[in-house]
Amino acid sequence: MAARAGLWGRAGLWCGEGLSLAGLSRAGLCCRPGPGGVPAAPCWGRAAYSSVPAVSDREGPQQREASIRRRGRTPQSVRSSAPPRTERMAVDQDWSSVYPTAAAFKPASVPLPIRMGYPVKRGVPPPKEGNLELIKIPNFLHLTPPAIKKHCAALKDFCTEWPSALDSDEKCEKHFPIEIETVDYVSSGTSIRNPKARVVTLRVKLSNLNLDDHAKKKLVKLVGERYCRETDVLTIVTDRCPLRRQNYDYGMHLLTVLYHESWKTEKWESEKSEEDMEEYIWENSRSQKNALDTLLRIKASENVSDVTEDELLASEAVKNYRNSVIALKNEGETEGNMSQYKESVKKLLNIPA
Amino acid sequence: MAAAARALRVLPRALPGPARLLHTSPTCLKTRAARVRVGKGDKPVTYEQAHAPHHIAHRKGWLSLHTGNLCGEEGAAERAVEDTFLRRFLFGTFPGLLQDEVVLKRRGNLLVVCALLSRALPPHKIYFLVGYTETLLSHFYKCPVRLELQTVPARVVYKYL
Repeated sequence: MAARAGLWGRAGLWCGEGLSLAGLSRAGLCCRPGPGGVPAAPCWGRAAYSSVPAVSDREGPQQREASIRRRGRTPQSVRSSAPPRTERMAVDQDWSSVYPTAAAFKPASVPLPIRMGYPVKRGVPPPKEGNLELIKIPNFLHLTPPAIKKHCAALKDFCTEWPSALDSDEKCEKHFPIEIETVDYVSSGTSIRNPKARVVTLRVKLSNLNLDDHAKKKLVKLVGERYCRETDVLTIVTDRCPLRRQNYDYGMHLLTVLYHESWKTEKWESEKSEEDMEEYIWENSRSQKNALDTLLRIKASENVSDVTEDELLASEAVKNYRNSVIALKNEGETEGNMSQYKESVKKLLNIPA
Repeated sequence: MAAAARALRVLPRALPGPARLLHTSPTCLKTRAARVRVGKGDKPVTYEQAHAPHHIAHRKGWLSLHTGNLCGEEGAAERAVEDTFLRRFLFGTFPGLLQDEVVLKRRGNLLVVCALLSRALPPHKIYFLVGYTETLLSHFYKCPVRLELQTVPARVVYKYL
């Protein structure tokens, strides 16, 4: 948003005559007659305290300045203005007293030979006196490092120490498992209201809640998208009420209701079918039936005495097969999973490697 | 019933039938807006006047700074109306003294008006005008208004057109 005023300085100082910063307060800021031999006071058409030649072309004829003088002259306007404050500034002055708060750029208070603006052809950028571009932009002259140090020292009295017992993230989470996030909006204008400020975000890790297996599964089903499996975080965003306090209360109410509801078991929950299951369970599945069937038939064909199903289930090969099938179904097909499955099937059916 | 009859009596002739009309809007001379036309070379112009609107954000900054024009923020229209009123108010309160456009800055609730004045009035009159402006505008807009003035001996000429 800042205007790009050509190549010439903003904060990079354009020192018109090679003056060093330290010597500014003494040298060069007094009124000097211009090239046309115009007397020192009043200098129409150029600032009374500029030490560098005027911005406009040097061939500005005498009659132009004379006409401006004639047009602009009123009896009171031939008043001698005091020299700018910059001439009396010490090099080691306290700058935070010159700019204690945010203020517009005051050329008579800033002892820097700053120029800003697009230069005229074969000319230089306009000087700082009466320069609207320097006034337009926000400046940070009130925020020098010593000034900020003073601010911090003044604010320290109002600050309280962070509790020493909470020195790690885990401890913070253990004592304060619920995180509430609210946003405050600052804008310029006469109204402080912003409708976006009523949104409240509630975050909690389900591991911090007292949930058993059934309760956790039911809660996850109830909240749907608001639960993230990777981080085990439940996020509730409320904005349906007009006030932030109301949204916060509603969010806490939702959490309470979810918790209590997930512990209850309704009658119709016993009708949970295989499609509703969140993860693959091998017990009483088709895979188990098929495996047991195959093994029993193998044993029968080998004329081995009756082996019970429980013995088969407890055997090593069947256990391996069970684990590999569960891994395949729950985690998807990966290299490791497939090779594990291959090994387990070979062991189960006694196929030599 | 009687009112309708009276209304009909007022109209001497029949209502006009369907017609083809042309809708015109007032002319909007975009190529002539905020541009000082080049003349003989005797017209002094300030930096602000010398640069056309397409130089904004390239060679010129903005005269009014507030958050209303940012994405997702409200209040742009209200700020624009306030700006227009403030410029006219200041133009009338400091007659003949304003050397350049007024710069308006808003910092939260605070409204900072930066004006460039000439030295035609004695200081005590200027102080009165400053107090008058600040008090009146604060009461009017219900927010603190601060006037930051700078005086120049004459209008700062950028070039002659």
